[in-house]
Amino acid sequence: MNPAIEVASLRKTFKGRDGTSRAVLKDLDLSVGAGEFLCILGPSGCGKSTLLNVLAGLDKVYEGQARVSAGRVGYLFQEPRLLPWLTAEQNLDFALTGCKVPASRWDELKSRYLAMTGLSEYRDYYPHQISGGMAQRLALVRALCVEPGILLMDEPFSGLDEITARRIRTDLLSIWRETRKTIVFVTHNAYEACFLADRILVMLGGAFRHEMRVPIARPRSYDDPAIFELSRDLIKAFDAEIGREPVPSAIPANEPSLVDDLDRHAAARMNI
Amino acid sequence: MLKLVSFVSAVIIWGLLSLTLPPEIFPGPIETARTLWGEIVKGDLWTDLAMTMLRVVAGLLLALILGVPVGVLMGLNRRAEAVLDVWVMIGLTVPSLCYAIMAFMWFGLNESAAILAIAVTAAPSITINIWEGVKNVDTKLVAMARVFEASRPAIVRRVLMPQIFPYVMASARFGLGIIWKITVLVELIGRPNGVGFKLFYWYQLADMRQVLAWTLLFTIIMLLIELVILKPIERRIFAWRPQVAV
Repeated sequence: MNPAIEVASLRKTFKGRDGTSRAVLKDLDLSVGAGEFLCILGPSGCGKSTLLNVLAGLDKVYEGQARVSAGRVGYLFQEPRLLPWLTAEQNLDFALTGCKVPASRWDELKSRYLAMTGLSEYRDYYPHQISGGMAQRLALVRALCVEPGILLMDEPFSGLDEITARRIRTDLLSIWRETRKTIVFVTHNAYEACFLADRILVMLGGAFRHEMRVPIARPRSYDDPAIFELSRDLIKAFDAEIGREPVPSAIPANEPSLVDDLDRHAAARMNI
Repeated sequence: MLKLVSFVSAVIIWGLLSLTLPPEIFPGPIETARTLWGEIVKGDLWTDLAMTMLRVVAGLLLALILGVPVGVLMGLNRRAEAVLDVWVMIGLTVPSLCYAIMAFMWFGLNESAAILAIAVTAAPSITINIWEGVKNVDTKLVAMARVFEASRPAIVRRVLMPQIFPYVMASARFGLGIIWKITVLVELIGRPNGVGFKLFYWYQLADMRQVLAWTLLFTIIMLLIELVILKPIERRIFAWRPQVAV
């Protein structure tokens, strides 16, 4: 079977204010199989969001190859990023219109995913009327509604309280079991990665440093001690890698806004 | 309720203050209202009022047409911001009386010159408002829209406009406040009718009852516009916003 995502020698450099350029992604190679749940684990600033932006087509300035062959991309951001002036349902419609999903399928798609996330009753609510966890669920529904071949998720649960996050993680796994989407999930939470993923790639300083398959059978329980042990091993491996790398961050400390700047660049490039 | 109490106490304070001076110099609210009623009954105040309203509305529209695009441009483009910054500052600094004098001297004592002077005075403040608004546009939402393949017109209409619109609304209200004041001034120096003309006319005759009657009329009209037109529009457009309970 063809891989859903293929990345070869992907390089991305940012020009600093002083004219020097810094590599944020250093010759990445990556292949994600169809239906695979891949977690990319790394500290903030390691380049994982940049990688997702390239895969999502938000960032088109890079060297090397990045090919997504499994069709449309669904994206779940760290924040829900719902349009506050639209109701829950109108927010879904906005994405469905953008992705040109035939109107005849809208009802079925919306009902299905709203039901899966327990949001069926909230179609007419505005984002400010629902909780943060519900808003993020709604964002997940929006990403699923457009029938993506691939789901990209950028630390989607890091802004939620732990109990809500746990519940949504479990929901995510059951949705994944039913739909078999290819998922690339970026996180800095080792436990989360071990609970969710088939395979974990540890990213540090713009490069993959460590690869690990998660041997735990599904369905998994969040309290499984095996997950805890695995995450401990993972953090150990991680520490070892950091020890080898004196400067673990690809993004220099004096430019913490670099990741956010990407969004700004993306908007600027629209020339509006 | 609180609004009513506050309104009534304003009238009472006016009444008390007016007692400190003879009524022909500082008439109280009752006397002023009676004078105003007399003018209304006579009926020729409507022409002046209508002319002033025309100038205000035309001036506001032209000010928005001039001010909003410049503000949007400055918010989106760093270079435009750098170039236009100084212009806006100059525009803001020049006194409105100067604009009025220049407009009348260059374009003659006519309606277009008056409206132009009004619009040019108000435009820089509107520009600054919009400029701030556009700078605050949430680019994360734009990135979201692009991920979901929204077309450029859709992004402008559904993502950018709703963010900029509150600032347009605010600058329209704010601009209106400025424009009322300039219009009176412009009418005073260069128009043969309007509220400003009347105020000046009664001032020259030293008839303070009439001066205050016209001021009162003006204030009532302005409050009505705020309460009957602008507030309901705002409430409708921003229905999605959370109600802030204080």
